[in-house]
Amino acid sequence: MAQPATQPDVSPRRRLEMPVLDRRDAGSDYVRLVLGAPDDWISRPGQFLNVRCESAPRSAAASERRPLDYEDGGEWPQATGLELGRRRWPVVRRPLSISRLDRRGRVRVEILVRPVGSGTQWLASRPVGATLDVVGPLGNCFTPPADDRLAVLVGGGCGMAPIFGLADYLADLGREAVFVVGAPAVAQVPMRFKRPPEATGDVARPCPTILEPHVPVPTVLATEDGAGGFRGTAVAAAERWLDQAVADRPVAFYGCGPEPMLRALAALAERRRAPCQVSLEQFMGCGIGVCLSCVRKMRDPGSEVGWTYRLTCRDGPVADAADIVWE
Amino acid sequence: MAQGDIDLGVQVGSIAMKNPIATASGCGGYGEELAEFYDLGRLGAIVTKSITLQPREGHPPPRLVEVRAGMLNAIGLANVGLDRFLAEKLPALARFDVPVIVNVAGSTPEEYVAVCAALDAADGVAGIELNVSCPNVKRGGMEFGVAPEPLAALVEAVREKVTRATLIVKLSPNVTDIAVTAKAAADAGADALSLVNTLRGMAIDPWTGRPALTNTVGGLSGPAIKPVAIYMIRRVWEEVAGPRHLPVIGLGGVQFAEDVIEFLRAGATAVSVGTANFVDPQTCVTLVDGVREGLARLGVSSARDLVGRMQRGGET
Repeated sequence: MAQPATQPDVSPRRRLEMPVLDRRDAGSDYVRLVLGAPDDWISRPGQFLNVRCESAPRSAAASERRPLDYEDGGEWPQATGLELGRRRWPVVRRPLSISRLDRRGRVRVEILVRPVGSGTQWLASRPVGATLDVVGPLGNCFTPPADDRLAVLVGGGCGMAPIFGLADYLADLGREAVFVVGAPAVAQVPMRFKRPPEATGDVARPCPTILEPHVPVPTVLATEDGAGGFRGTAVAAAERWLDQAVADRPVAFYGCGPEPMLRALAALAERRRAPCQVSLEQFMGCGIGVCLSCVRKMRDPGSEVGWTYRLTCRDGPVADAADIVWE
Repeated sequence: MAQGDIDLGVQVGSIAMKNPIATASGCGGYGEELAEFYDLGRLGAIVTKSITLQPREGHPPPRLVEVRAGMLNAIGLANVGLDRFLAEKLPALARFDVPVIVNVAGSTPEEYVAVCAALDAADGVAGIELNVSCPNVKRGGMEFGVAPEPLAALVEAVREKVTRATLIVKLSPNVTDIAVTAKAAADAGADALSLVNTLRGMAIDPWTGRPALTNTVGGLSGPAIKPVAIYMIRRVWEEVAGPRHLPVIGLGGVQFAEDVIEFLRAGATAVSVGTANFVDPQTCVTLVDGVREGLARLGVSSARDLVGRMQRGGET
């Protein structure tokens, strides 16, 4: 992951407490948390926070019970059949992409939380005024295009998070970009629209005004059910939009989302002979390059076997798609 | 007692630790990563990741999975290898005022001996910790550390070459009676023992049937194994370490200052902190302050005075 490097001007990594300043539901599946950051905080799109979580409480009665051995571990799991598997204590932190940095006035960073497991459920339920124990900013970041080519940003699922920040960043730099968002259905897009996006079938075009969050670049919506926006995947929508609206202009792709999406995006970039940076996800133990668990196979011509393991937390999460050995 | 009067210093072999807190192997990298969060000079010692003769890429991911009150890992001894460690990692540690204990792994006795001899000759290596939970390829893959004879043979062979550094043998808990392997290591010339390494464990996805780790089997660590560690340290202290005045570095689920005090009482002279570093990279320095506070509350002036000190329990 040599090319997208850590920027020299980001804040040093540290552990700190961040207050929750705002909390909003974002679509049916996500919660946006706005966190207060120190004045000297600088992070770049692609970087992430490693957040300490506890178990989501099951009920008031259960959460009043203190565990035997944990000051902070939440309540005892109660064996209730299939629920038991989700009732574990998070031990390690949860990595979350910084979805946005706002340095106007009080410095704020935003994360997009999808409450899927015990830790993220707890995190998504943090009220305004709560404090989070955070380590960051961690990882490397997206690098803007080297020239004035069009940046095509593709996000799916939780992977939309860093793409929001990248759209802001590129707009601030005066670069031209388009954001392609993919989701199963409109309700699962973490955005609020001025009016429901109409179905456009196999036509990919920017969708109507997004009320929240503000996205400073044209945004193309793709849904699997086709009830709003393009019918199909985000990568298919990106390709269609490029064919329809961009023709031969050079582009640079940026992506974050599920593995099949990233793989399809890398293939699209290869077909168009365009650079492509993607942000990878991998389960992490520490987030700071110590535990060596979050490895990805990356091409390495210098190695005998042609690849080497790189750490997603430290050498990534952003990688040049051409360097990734897909498995 | 005022906290300023507390002496946290402990001695492990020839290593003078300014306090009983060390990082555990594999949980502090080569030191430089944690150095971004605090001055490593505040620690009693740092124990590096396992070093092998040749560099190792390690196992394919997933290498780590969270389980209830702990985690399972099968990293596969990924490391830069002896040469790069000596050329790059060890010199980088020299700028910190902290004793460096290098953890060593291998698949043959010859490999252990070669790595240990080179480390013993290197500047800046205060101690060598043998990871004996590796499969012995010459003995059909059985771990060095699970039976007394191969363990004793390994420790003797290494002891011959390690004349300067403190030789610490890290015992596996995956044995019938840890006092047996502790005694074998002590008889073979270990200066100190560290215990426990991870407990062998496994996790299976209930719906897909796939093992959670690519390697299928991993090492269980974290709060889940703490009572096992306390028991085994006590057992070793009573049978081997106490009578012979052999220092023990205790590890396994240390997270809070109370845990450190509990480990000292069980018979550990110092502790290593592993998984807790992942929860909070500042854990080790927080523990240094917490232990000082705890000793003041107990009215104990020196950490050394607490080692092995527990009340007798009822007969069992």
